[in-house]
Amino acid sequence: MITTHNIDFYYGDFHALKNISMEMDANTVTALIGPSGCGKSTFLRLFNRMNDLIDNTRLVGECLIDGQNIYSKSVQVDELRKKVGMVFQKPNPFPKSIFENVAYGLRVNDISNKSFITQRVEESLKAAALWDEVKDKLKKSAFELSGGQQQRLCIARALAISPSILLMDEPASALDPISTSKIEELIYSLKQQYTIVIVTHNMQQAARVSDRTGFFMLGELVEFNDTKKMFLSPEKEQTQNYITGRFG
Amino acid sequence: MKHTEKELQVLKEEVSQMWKLVLSQLEKAKQSFLSGDVEMAREIASREKRVDAFELKIDSDCENYIALYSPVAVDLRLVLSLIKISITLERIGDFAEGIARYVIDNGELRMDNGEVSNNSLSQFSTLNAQLVEDLQLERMFDTLIGMLSDSFVALESENTRISGKILSKDDEIDELYRNSLDILTNYMQQNPAFIRSGLKTFLLIRKLERIGDHCSNIVEEIVFYVDAKVLKHHFKSGELRVES
Amino acid sequence: MGLLVVAILLGILGFIVYNGIGVISWEFLTAAPTEGMTSGGIFPAIVGTLCLVVGSMTFAFPFGVMSAIYMNEYAGNGQVVKFIRVMTNNLSGIPSIVFGLFGMALFVNTLNFGDSILAGSLTLGLLILPLIIRTTEEALKAIPDSYRTGSLALGASKLQTIRRVVLPMAFPNIITGLILAIGRVSGETAPILFTVAAYFLPKLPSGIFDQVMALPYHLYVIVTSGTDIEASRPIAYGTALVLIAMVLVLNLLAATLRRYFGKKIKTN
Repeated sequence: MITTHNIDFYYGDFHALKNISMEMDANTVTALIGPSGCGKSTFLRLFNRMNDLIDNTRLVGECLIDGQNIYSKSVQVDELRKKVGMVFQKPNPFPKSIFENVAYGLRVNDISNKSFITQRVEESLKAAALWDEVKDKLKKSAFELSGGQQQRLCIARALAISPSILLMDEPASALDPISTSKIEELIYSLKQQYTIVIVTHNMQQAARVSDRTGFFMLGELVEFNDTKKMFLSPEKEQTQNYITGRFG
Repeated sequence: MKHTEKELQVLKEEVSQMWKLVLSQLEKAKQSFLSGDVEMAREIASREKRVDAFELKIDSDCENYIALYSPVAVDLRLVLSLIKISITLERIGDFAEGIARYVIDNGELRMDNGEVSNNSLSQFSTLNAQLVEDLQLERMFDTLIGMLSDSFVALESENTRISGKILSKDDEIDELYRNSLDILTNYMQQNPAFIRSGLKTFLLIRKLERIGDHCSNIVEEIVFYVDAKVLKHHFKSGELRVES
Repeated sequence: MGLLVVAILLGILGFIVYNGIGVISWEFLTAAPTEGMTSGGIFPAIVGTLCLVVGSMTFAFPFGVMSAIYMNEYAGNGQVVKFIRVMTNNLSGIPSIVFGLFGMALFVNTLNFGDSILAGSLTLGLLILPLIIRTTEEALKAIPDSYRTGSLALGASKLQTIRRVVLPMAFPNIITGLILAIGRVSGETAPILFTVAAYFLPKLPSGIFDQVMALPYHLYVIVTSGTDIEASRPIAYGTALVLIAMVLVLNLLAATLRRYFGKKIKTN
């Protein structure tokens, strides 16, 4: 599904990712953990080419999605981003109604069929486990929702354009425990249909939701293993020190 | 239901399965012992492997559950008690197999002596019905089976009201065990040819007594899980009760 | 200190109102000046100022907003943009009389627009451009990047992102810039001095190549070089009052507009 071969990434002179090779299967949740600045978010943003927005960056190596190198010249970035959805750390719904937020991705795709949009919005909100809470106030501003609801709205918004991959950059770090646990449940259920890559600072979260976990440190992929193995008997001492909090 | 809760349910279900298996092992041990059914005893011995497999599975599943979901409070107590219960169940399974081995050994002895059935040796190689009666072995078996199935109900219903009743049954077992020492001593004094057989019988009764202790431990684990109380070593135990 | 400022402001307003309110009448607002501008009204000057406001905004607003969008959204952070930004700031520091002179040289003479609404509007537009660019840029900068990345991550193009997300959010603040610009344009005298303003023209303009009277210039004229300065003093106060009132009304209108859009964005 997602494969990277010997990825090196630079911000100017800073060598942010060092020779990363990784494989993620369809319909699995892969968690990326590691201390701040270890490159895990940078790595995540490779897959929908969000790093393109940053000046003076350089990528070496191959990044394949479904066998296609997403950095080849023939790839349209906005088409890629329709296939690879993303949810950010802070909920960032647009200052529009709940309905329009979810419909946004469809509208920018030049879809104007009203009944299709209505149907898709409902499906997406249901998939994001938000429908029951908002079905009576779709016309209300998205800002009236709580933080956790806003984040699920952002997930619904990403789902509306039917991506096959969902990238999540610390999706629950700005939320309270109850909202966090709702998001985690959602992630767990979404893997039936989507391939999910999640960056998280919260190791327990990685343990709870993911099938495989990658541990990054100083731009290197220290260990990539089954989550069970990772949290019970990691192979590398560095991993052990990090997940037990004995780090540094 | 959250997926972590579901995982916990799965874990609990595995322990229930194991429990049922061990319970049936014990019941079959009783039957084969009372009827001298060697076939059934062999079956018990071969099924012991399944009990062991259950223990390994539950052990690693519990490890994974703790590693992945970091349970706390009632969830943590449940997982911890499930680990201990599964270890204890495995021990009980071992004892059931031990009883089965006893039956098989006796059966083989009977076969060897089949032609000389009047031989006085064979008379004392197995227990005679009167002795079984005196030792109240059937009652002992039934009490143990009752303890094991009652504690299973206690876990399933998360109700610890019957824990006292189950624990008092262990005192009953200890009582029978102490009595058996006297009965067997007397019997062996009168029939020196029976000494070897009698010692084996005593070891068997000792096994039954240990099963009783293990059932008590299980009840204590259930109380720890449900009521968050530690019963261990607190109540007054019989003098022959040994913590292991 | 703050109270002092308010007191001064109220003092000026009170002074103007006290002296000017006497001459305000329906006729004053709707009639042309007569008798060497010692009596009659100021209607042509009001219309002229409105024409200049509308004209300069028509030119400066889209141009300024688009420049700001380019600089903030597209140009990145290169040397060129830094240079443009410095130049924009310099532009806003140039005295307005210099704009007037430049407008006369370029629009009136070189492009041969003559003294006209077009030449005046363009000159005022140039004057106001830096202000609009700066306020628009500030408005765009105030939109957190998370909205842009959020939109882009959904496969929206940059243009779609700007049009559908960034601009609607920045709109209230851009309107604020417009308010400031309008206030400034309607009060400027120097830039229209050589490019559009008529000393005395008691008729309404019929096209963009006509000259017009304008309130600030009219005020200047009747205070400094009228036929009878003493006689037209009350009219001067009246004109000042109308000018202030007009700016106030425009500001209120824009503020209402801003609040309206602000609300629309929240609940839409």
